Amino acid sequence: MNLLIESFKAAMLLMLAGDHDLLVIVGCSLKVSSLATVFAAILGLPLGFLIAFTTFPGKRLALTCLNTLLALPTVVIGLFVYALISRRGILGSLDLLYTQKAMIIGQIILIIPVITTMTIAAISRIDKRYRTTALTLGANRYQMAWVVFIEARYGVIAAVIAAFGRVIAEIGISMMLGGNAKGFTRTMTTAMALEYDKGEFVLAVALGIILMGLAFAINLLFHLFQGRVGSDAV
Amino acid sequence: MLYEINKLTRVHRGRIILDIPALTIPVGKISCLIGPNGAGKSTLLHLLAFLDTPSSGTISFCSTPVRYVEKALQPLRRRVVLVDQYPILFTGSVLKNLEFGLKVREIEKNRRRDMIEEALQMVGMEDFLHAEAHKLSGGETKRVALARALVVKPEVLLCDEPTANVDAENQEIIESILERANGKEKISILFATHSLSQAQRLADQTLTLKDGRPSDLSRENVLSARIVGQGAGRVICRLHNDLRITFPAASYSGTTGTVRLFFNPEKIILFRQSPGGVSPENLLSGKVVKIAGGNGQVKVTIDTGVQTNVVLSLSEYAEKPPRIGEEFLLHIPDEAITVE
Repeated sequence: MNLLIESFKAAMLLMLAGDHDLLVIVGCSLKVSSLATVFAAILGLPLGFLIAFTTFPGKRLALTCLNTLLALPTVVIGLFVYALISRRGILGSLDLLYTQKAMIIGQIILIIPVITTMTIAAISRIDKRYRTTALTLGANRYQMAWVVFIEARYGVIAAVIAAFGRVIAEIGISMMLGGNAKGFTRTMTTAMALEYDKGEFVLAVALGIILMGLAFAINLLFHLFQGRVGSDAV
Repeated sequence: MLYEINKLTRVHRGRIILDIPALTIPVGKISCLIGPNGAGKSTLLHLLAFLDTPSSGTISFCSTPVRYVEKALQPLRRRVVLVDQYPILFTGSVLKNLEFGLKVREIEKNRRRDMIEEALQMVGMEDFLHAEAHKLSGGETKRVALARALVVKPEVLLCDEPTANVDAENQEIIESILERANGKEKISILFATHSLSQAQRLADQTLTLKDGRPSDLSRENVLSARIVGQGAGRVICRLHNDLRITFPAASYSGTTGTVRLFFNPEKIILFRQSPGGVSPENLLSGKVVKIAGGNGQVKVTIDTGVQTNVVLSLSEYAEKPPRIGEEFLLHIPDEAITVE
């Protein structure tokens, strides 16, 4: 218990002092996770819209596959992307392994299903009359989709927030594709694992506190948006 | 003609929900679609608003057959606006709602405000310009939805049950809005309703739909009857419970088999006592089993062995109201009978 309290005190001092190593790790985590979320949103939101708006043979199967991908373990994605970008892989010539780009690619794969399925759910909750009303008032398909987006905005934003929460806390992809290189691909979760292995609890606890703080802020935002969706539905 | 419909069908999950062999809707008039729930009124309105695609057949709009490709449909939709039975307003203010149709038509910003104020004035909602749309009552929502449709100055306004679920005051206001839109703005109007009296009050032309097919008002009481003979220039037939009904031989060419009879509920005459001077043909007796009112009419259902509906005007009803269980004699005159 003493060890934990001492580590906690030291971690607080480290954070207050603005320790350089700590800031670099937090910065790397935020950068990689933010970029992965942005790219996944660029791909996942339109995909979610498309699936929600259209009917096609095998739509139910596609939804089942997307839901299954929500449970995809990070190490499986790590292995899959590793096979593609390692020297012997088909993308080996791009020299992506153990770079932030590789981590971003892996994390995009991780959260596209999250964003897509949550977008589909958010759009599907919106009354169909919004679409017909927009169309009968003269809107084209894009203007109609914008109307639906505005009505579903809290649910869609909640999807993006949930996706960011998923990637900021993952470790498998960052470790396998980033390699945990100090000052370069070391994220909060990989640094915590390393410090734990070394028996150095101070930095690990400090990172844990920051990660929990971030997770709390993300969840707070998520619940705020979810709350708005709920209150709108009433 | 505004619309010309030819052999139109709409199939949903293998079931034909609309089947109209031919129909024309005139330009510049108020037309009315009347029929019970599930008759296909909303389906037809969605097809006429170019929001749905027919399973077969054609719709011509202003003498041009409609092509069901997005590029061709959008310009048509900008000429026709549908106001839903339960209209939905977009999140935001009334102003934002009315602005939508103008924005998508790229109307200049300085003209928009005047057009919006004019449309709100037309529906008597000018004080609600900045009101939150989702906080309006049912009647106010319908009026704002009408203003949102009228602000874009459509050639055609389609309304699905515009006065359903609103109070009497709002019903009157909505009816006068429709009359003004047609009279002053020269907008062709087609509305769906349950109410015969509303149809008679507002519409220049009425189309009755039943089970997805055009019908007419004289076809309320539909009965199957077996022809059993002929005499004195009349065909004699029996209903399934052996009730005897006769009709002029001239109205049916066959002499045997089964026919379908329709008794126009507005033309059936009720008597409390045996009437003098009335032919004993088609004089049935029965007890009142149901009385339903609304929209300026009262429908009395009498069990004569078959349940027969009789429609009374409010004044007829008020003179001496029938009571449940009261015995009546029904006279079904020849002009009330249609034979098929």
